[in-house]
Amino acid sequence: MFEHVLSVMIFLPIVAGLVLLLTPAGKGIARLTGGVISFAGLVLGIDIFFKFKNQGPLQFVENIPMIPSLGINYSLGIDGISLFILLAGAVLLPMVYLLFTTKSKGYYANLLIVQGAMAGAVCAADMILFYVFWEVMLLPVFFMLGLWGGESRIPATIKITIYTIAGSLLMLLGIIYTGVSYHAQFGEWSFNIVQMTQLQMAGPVAVLAFFGFMIAFAIKIPLFPFHTWLPDAYTEAPTATTFVLSAIMAKIGVYAVIRLVVPIFDGEFARYALLLAYSGVIGMMYCGITAIAQKDFKRMFAFSSASHMGVIALGVFCMNLQALTGSVFQIVAHATSTGVLFLFAGILEDRVKTRKIADLGGIAYTAPVFALFFAIAMLASVGLPGTSGFIGEFLIILGAIKFNVLIGVLAGTTLIIGVCYMLWMFQRVFFEKTKPASEGFKDLTLTEGLTFLPVILLIIFMGLYPQPFLEKIEPAAQLHLAAADAGKTIALADNTHALVQGSTVETQK
Amino acid sequence: MTNDFMLLMPLIITGVGAIALMLIAAYDKVTIEQASMASMGVFGLAFLVQLSNTIGTAVVPYDTVFNGMLVISNFTKVAGLIILACGFFTSMSAHSYFKQNNFCTTEFYSLVAFSACGMLLLTMSQELISVFISLEIMSLAIYILVGYDRQNKRAAEAVMKYLMLGAFAGAFLTMGTALVYGGVGSTKFALIGQAVAANGFFTNPALVCGAFFILVAFLFKVAAFPFHAWVIDVYDGAAAPVTGYMATGLKTAVFAVFANFLVVDETMRAGWVNYLFYLSILTMFVGNLIAIGQTSLKRMLAASGIVHTGYLLIALVAVSSEHFSGSVILYYLGAYSVGTLGIFAALSYLGGANEKRQTFDDFKGLARVRPYSAAAIAIFLLSMAGIPPTAGFMGKLYIITSAISAGQVALAVFGIISSILSMWYYLRLIINMYFHEAVEGFEDTADFKFAPACTFILVVCVFAISLYPIAV
Repeated sequence: MFEHVLSVMIFLPIVAGLVLLLTPAGKGIARLTGGVISFAGLVLGIDIFFKFKNQGPLQFVENIPMIPSLGINYSLGIDGISLFILLAGAVLLPMVYLLFTTKSKGYYANLLIVQGAMAGAVCAADMILFYVFWEVMLLPVFFMLGLWGGESRIPATIKITIYTIAGSLLMLLGIIYTGVSYHAQFGEWSFNIVQMTQLQMAGPVAVLAFFGFMIAFAIKIPLFPFHTWLPDAYTEAPTATTFVLSAIMAKIGVYAVIRLVVPIFDGEFARYALLLAYSGVIGMMYCGITAIAQKDFKRMFAFSSASHMGVIALGVFCMNLQALTGSVFQIVAHATSTGVLFLFAGILEDRVKTRKIADLGGIAYTAPVFALFFAIAMLASVGLPGTSGFIGEFLIILGAIKFNVLIGVLAGTTLIIGVCYMLWMFQRVFFEKTKPASEGFKDLTLTEGLTFLPVILLIIFMGLYPQPFLEKIEPAAQLHLAAADAGKTIALADNTHALVQGSTVETQK
Repeated sequence: MTNDFMLLMPLIITGVGAIALMLIAAYDKVTIEQASMASMGVFGLAFLVQLSNTIGTAVVPYDTVFNGMLVISNFTKVAGLIILACGFFTSMSAHSYFKQNNFCTTEFYSLVAFSACGMLLLTMSQELISVFISLEIMSLAIYILVGYDRQNKRAAEAVMKYLMLGAFAGAFLTMGTALVYGGVGSTKFALIGQAVAANGFFTNPALVCGAFFILVAFLFKVAAFPFHAWVIDVYDGAAAPVTGYMATGLKTAVFAVFANFLVVDETMRAGWVNYLFYLSILTMFVGNLIAIGQTSLKRMLAASGIVHTGYLLIALVAVSSEHFSGSVILYYLGAYSVGTLGIFAALSYLGGANEKRQTFDDFKGLARVRPYSAAAIAIFLLSMAGIPPTAGFMGKLYIITSAISAGQVALAVFGIISSILSMWYYLRLIINMYFHEAVEGFEDTADFKFAPACTFILVVCVFAISLYPIAV
């Protein structure tokens, strides 16, 4: 049982979700099943966390041949980077079943499937397997958005689906190209991610393959200028879907950059790192400034999420240990804080039946617990010292300054912009005069409060004592950067017209 | 000798079965339901025999029996399996289809079996005259099947178009055969190959012309650009099960003989690949552009059939004549056939009397009323679009891999772009089925057994095939 713990984490929810879809089970049973299965996932996740050794290489490895003629295996394994994204999913998803009690069967079933598929994408150690899960995790989102979304859900659904599939098909091309190159260089077929790092990629086709991967992930993250699907999808989606999209699925995009692009396309990555870093910074500032102007709080959170994803992606593009570690840490921090904020937004919307900031006011007077929890999650999201958000953003900005001073300075403004839109929104919604829509706003119930409490405590704990997390991340981060061979990468980047001129690429601690 | 005989058994069973079906059709007592079941029996038996043959690895050139005109290899055996399965599922969905459409007579199933004979022969043919004969056996039966509904103007239009153009294609094939014979002195693929290897391909104008004409005939039958225009009207005019049969069985047979002919000699193949390269790109994009504009489901599927022809041409471009196994082509044909047959099986019982539900809008809200049927259609569409973990995805994976391995990176890129475009019209039906309120109750689609069972089996096949690994 234990050697297949990752498979269990992947397929338990998927099978449960499919069974629910195929049988005429009622809502109650569906929610109960969903809750129990995702709670089982949480228990397994915590178990994995404590059994995980602080080392670089993959652990909990499983390997079964699937298509021997092409070297495609069902191989799984996690390292310090995937561990935290896996855990973020395991910790956050059970909350949905506790908070949303009246949804239909398909809603819960799709949530289960997406949970399993996301775990699969994170654990996959074979590129084809990764691609399969990557595509499968889109399908439940497609159905949830289209079936239970807001008024203009269909255009939003089409937009996100076509966008994402276009990206992933380009990635498929990249995957196959790397596989074929591996065959050409080593004489045997393989799509194993770890083996791929030995590959020597060069030439124009390698650049194309690199952009095939990068565009797919840039769409998923989303990175400027591929973010245009995000506001519509996040706003129209039902709360749980927005939550899944922002808290975990977007992170898988960043994770995939760390896992697939940095080690395999080290040369190309170094060449275009500055371009990518600028796109992260621009996206961060642009989405942040747009967030200030939003009149709809869910849309504002959507832009805020996009803005933070820009920072997280920036951490990966800086190619040094501080920034990368910060990125992975920030992935968890952002998953908890923004995820929780979207859940709060869902609760708010359920109770006041509006998403307009202007219609709300004075909620803090009648709902102090809600206001307190909201404030903590919000402050973590803007990166207040003492919360989880600070550690990650600090490390990323530190790394960014080492990489390129201008980028670092621009990245620093994220804190200011974040404060602008968040605090202003908080002031208008929670303080000021009570508006008709928010009159008699009910505070969190005991169940809701207890559901949020562990995550709120986690936010504070991670901010005050980040060491247990950082020491699990660092070995893997170091290994990933070491795969990008230091001397060669810098030489390549400098010789081939370095977009990174004048910056330092640091691959050792 | 007994082995040889066993390898021909599927063909014999289908042929005898076709004649028997024709004979029993003379009796009034035999209902069309019984004929359909008899046809399923024939195809089922032939399929099982073929399956038992496929497990062995014998390659039989029938030198003594047929003077080398027929060759049985693993490639033809698997192609035969796909064809027989297509015939089986077509009979199965026709059983339900003709409960709501009453232009059927018992001869219908005999024609399905006859055309399957032609297809099976076509896969094995290694000689141009037998290619022509088996192509005509297949086509004649298909012409009648397309125009079976004599009262229907659209069916009449379809058969007229198909017959006229098909006759031209047949004429091209004969002309090409004559020229090749004039240039080489033989119509056998093996001897043509030897002659080309000895004297070169482009030095012999009669051979070049002849091969070009033969290529035109094949491209017409598989509906590749620029011979694709007939497909839309013909597929639209034919009955749903027949359309499914044409789109799958016929395409499998013609692609099999196409591949067999193409790998006759490396210089000849290399010469044609340059043109097939552009043809496959144009086929994919023209098909996509036609499909995007359609409002009728059958017309969209016809156009998407053109796109899939384009993907198969990619696979053809990437084959090598030294180690030709054709496994990628067959895998894709199998995956595509399962999806297409599945959708047409579903349309057979969801279409209603006289195929009254035709457009995307007619299927709005299907998921609310018939959730399992809608899920099945969605799975078939996702398979055709190439979304994992379906068979269509694996097929696409193999095709793109073989294209990049053969150095055709540009072709792979165009293939991927084309599948991005095709997402739009596949998703459109899923969106209509799932995200809109039901406009009607689909009450008339409730009491069928065969076509829904067929749909269910094919859904299982979509996932089963995706798990089956092949050697590339």
